[in-house]
Amino acid sequence: MQALTKRYGAHTAVEDLSFTAPAGAVTGVIGPNGAGKTTTFRCLLGLVDPTGGRALIGGQPYRALEAPRTCVGAVLETTGFHPARTGRSHLRVLARAAGIDPARVDDVLDVVALRADGGRRVGGYSLGMRQRLGIAAAMLGDPAVIVLDEPVNGLDPEGVVWMRRLLRTWAGQGRTVVVSSHLLAELAQVVDRVVVIRGGRLVAETDIGSLNHVVVVRVDRPDVMVAALRASGAGHELRADGAIAVRGREPSEVGRVAAQAGVAVIELARATPGEALEAMFFAVTGDRGDG
Amino acid sequence: MGDLVAAEWLKLRTTRLLHGTAPAALLISLAAVIGSTLAADRAGIALESTRGLRRILPTTGTGALVVLIVGILVSAGEYRHGTAADTFLTTPRRHRVVLAKVAVGAAVGLAVGAITSAACITGAAALFRLRGVTFPFDDAEVWQSVAGTLAYTTLFAVLGVAIGTMVRNQVFAVAAALAWVGIVEHLLVNLAPGIGRWLPAAAGQAILRTPLDRLLGPAAGAAVLAAFALVITAAGLRFTVTRDA
Repeated sequence: MQALTKRYGAHTAVEDLSFTAPAGAVTGVIGPNGAGKTTTFRCLLGLVDPTGGRALIGGQPYRALEAPRTCVGAVLETTGFHPARTGRSHLRVLARAAGIDPARVDDVLDVVALRADGGRRVGGYSLGMRQRLGIAAAMLGDPAVIVLDEPVNGLDPEGVVWMRRLLRTWAGQGRTVVVSSHLLAELAQVVDRVVVIRGGRLVAETDIGSLNHVVVVRVDRPDVMVAALRASGAGHELRADGAIAVRGREPSEVGRVAAQAGVAVIELARATPGEALEAMFFAVTGDRGDG
Repeated sequence: MGDLVAAEWLKLRTTRLLHGTAPAALLISLAAVIGSTLAADRAGIALESTRGLRRILPTTGTGALVVLIVGILVSAGEYRHGTAADTFLTTPRRHRVVLAKVAVGAAVGLAVGAITSAACITGAAALFRLRGVTFPFDDAEVWQSVAGTLAYTTLFAVLGVAIGTMVRNQVFAVAAALAWVGIVEHLLVNLAPGIGRWLPAAAGQAILRTPLDRLLGPAAGAAVLAAFALVITAAGLRFTVTRDA
């Protein structure tokens, strides 16, 4: 993504956005609804023309790719299916148009565990089954780059776990995986890199490994603790559930601050990746966790 | 391009679209031919005369309206069901998709036209025999009518595909096309035939050799309808390539 800009009339959906997604890693594009994630993906996939800048895949714009399905597999939120067509036929159509060996159809149906239902019409599929059929379609050409827009939306807990495992498997195979989500916690466990977008602009791009210094503390008098943390100069957010996320401090340091402030610690722990991501997100977007 | 045409045909085959529409086109035409044969007979017109044949045979093309709708669904249906993005991900050179759809639409139109013509002539011949008249298979009027039906049905299918490419809202496209053919043009042909005869549906009636003296000749009608199909296809191509999907 190089200085990507997309305007719809007076509305700027994406502005001067630049980031890269490396191979062999899962890059998460996160941001609230309407932040420009989907527009960014549509520009990347050649579905809309950017107003300015470029979106390249392996150095080439999507529309210049010789056999796009074998380079890039994508599932967009708006991807639909003809309800009267069977899952298998949907894939056969794509394989035919892309010049892909039809034997791949059953392979990818196996990957998403839809082989038994491949002969059923998509109209009778559940939301999760449609999601999986979309993923099967993306995998048809065995692409090196995979782009998924909100892949965990509408999945049941089991499906979310399955999706996480799939993302890790792909990255482990050396593929470039780019996923978007407005749900921070869902992604935190699987992404290697995070790109935060808000209002169409990049607000942060970082490796998840560098996010780990977040401590979550729960005390009896949060207001006193917040004041003490402010005095100590530690970045922190009071969350809606009453816990405080503290950035860039070890648990022992946070405990010491609490002791000096004379508050009773109820709970003190290093943050999960999801909490760390959330803390980073609110820090860079300027939102308060309690806002 | 061959793969794309095959894929478009597979798309059409793997939905139930043709299961209902092809028989519908056939039945509508057959009903129209039977109706016009009975009406001509009741009016005392000799069925096998040129006048009789011209009353009866042009109605063979009635089913083309259904083919027009099929054409619209072939292209606008991709937006209706959200498959357009996937199609363009597979084929970023979008003009090829439109051309493949036009090819498949034309083939469907031609096939439906052929089947309909065969069924209608068989049906008419049976009715003629019931009235004690031999169907004049060797009359040029018959084969000109068959050629007209084939051209009309094929062009209407292409026109449908082109309209569906321009008007992405499937329901609106079908409603607008039917209203145009059934109401707008009907009024124009009657009120302002100088203009009306140059419009697509009137040109189609001219191809079918419908006995209305306000219409163009069959060849001119075919040229006009083909020009409409071509221009709208070209506009649809440009629209599809330049617009965000």
